[in-house]
Amino acid sequence: MPSDEILRTHLQELRRGTVVVASLAALRRPDYGYALLQRLTGHGFPVDANTLYPLLRRLEDQGLLTSEWNTEESRPRKFYWTSEEGETVLHQLLDDLAAVQTSMTGLIQGVDR
Amino acid sequence: MSSLTDRYLAATLGAVPAARREEIATELRASIEDMIDGKEAAGVSVAVAEREVLTELGDPAALAARYANRRLQLIGPAYYLVWERLLKLLLSFVPATVGIVVGLVAAVDGDASDAIGKGIGTAIEVAVHVAFWTTLTFAVIERTNTPLNLPEWSVDRLREERARGERQVGLADCVAAVALLALVIAYLPLQHFHSWVTDADGGNLPILDPALWSFWLPFLIAVLVGEAVVEILRYRAGGWTWPLVAVNAVLGAAFAVPVVWLLLTDRLFNPDFVARFEWLSRPDNLDTVATVAVVATIAVTLWGVFDSTVKACRR
Repeated sequence: MPSDEILRTHLQELRRGTVVVASLAALRRPDYGYALLQRLTGHGFPVDANTLYPLLRRLEDQGLLTSEWNTEESRPRKFYWTSEEGETVLHQLLDDLAAVQTSMTGLIQGVDR
Repeated sequence: MSSLTDRYLAATLGAVPAARREEIATELRASIEDMIDGKEAAGVSVAVAEREVLTELGDPAALAARYANRRLQLIGPAYYLVWERLLKLLLSFVPATVGIVVGLVAAVDGDASDAIGKGIGTAIEVAVHVAFWTTLTFAVIERTNTPLNLPEWSVDRLREERARGERQVGLADCVAAVALLALVIAYLPLQHFHSWVTDADGGNLPILDPALWSFWLPFLIAVLVGEAVVEILRYRAGGWTWPLVAVNAVLGAAFAVPVVWLLLTDRLFNPDFVARFEWLSRPDNLDTVATVAVVATIAVTLWGVFDSTVKACRR
């Protein structure tokens, strides 16, 4: 029986890349940091706040997200949404994710590609 | 505004690039307040919620590093192996070489009693410097992402003799090493009775001081016998093992230290033998011979220790 520690590390490794895909997909609808965090958690993508907030900035720096400040509400919030470039990247990432799933299914069922 | 969040923001933003500080501050503050509100709505008191949220966000320095995309390692995997190889290479010979040269200069300057200590002290100092500056250079390279343009690893780099568990030492090597030691051991009594140097009356002149037979020469012979035993054990073990390396180093020191000490105190050579040669009997020349012999002894001993260590590492 593998220790919880080993299992946790492998799950972490497996989940790492999906945060980016999930964020790009979720931000087709504009949102601010905390609301996105809630939305991702609600959809089964638990992500640490200290990972997500810096990640949003990094994706923005890479041109995959666009942002705008909204100062109409009680506190100023930065809204992010997926840019055109982000949409292209998201498509490729989703394709790859599907390919991984297909390959895995094939592997398990013993079907050659 | 609660002071805990303020303090957290201050601690985080200090390490974030100044150009983006204000924007990150506003966004992070709003996010923290959102998170506190969320917990409050779930029935947690504000003070507890704040503590929980900040604990969740973790060490401000780590969060700032994520914002700044800064690495939390001194030398990462991209450069680690190059750093390690270079450091090992430099440490393998630079400190010893500099130490010997400094010790030699001290000995020639007439400060013979102090020469060994000075040499060893300098070697240690040089080793610390080499390690520090190499590491610093690589830490800077890591942070600036400098490409090193080193050749890619290829199978051609595999060394044949590195195959694990393979015998490093053949029977021929063992026999040769033991035979050499036997010759040296045999020479010690031989030179006492037959050195091919004669005094004015045609009698034999021993090269080494006969007074040393009371203790030092038997001691050195015992050490040499020990070294022969190490050679045989090494052959049986198939190469250098760490216990053998340790014993070999102790024996090396047990041989080199008395020899160097006897040389530096002018007690190794037979005074009559020295007096027989006019050139050798001049104090300056005798010192030169002693110095060369000291350096040779130290170099051979250090090489023996170094060589056995490297071979033990490779096993």
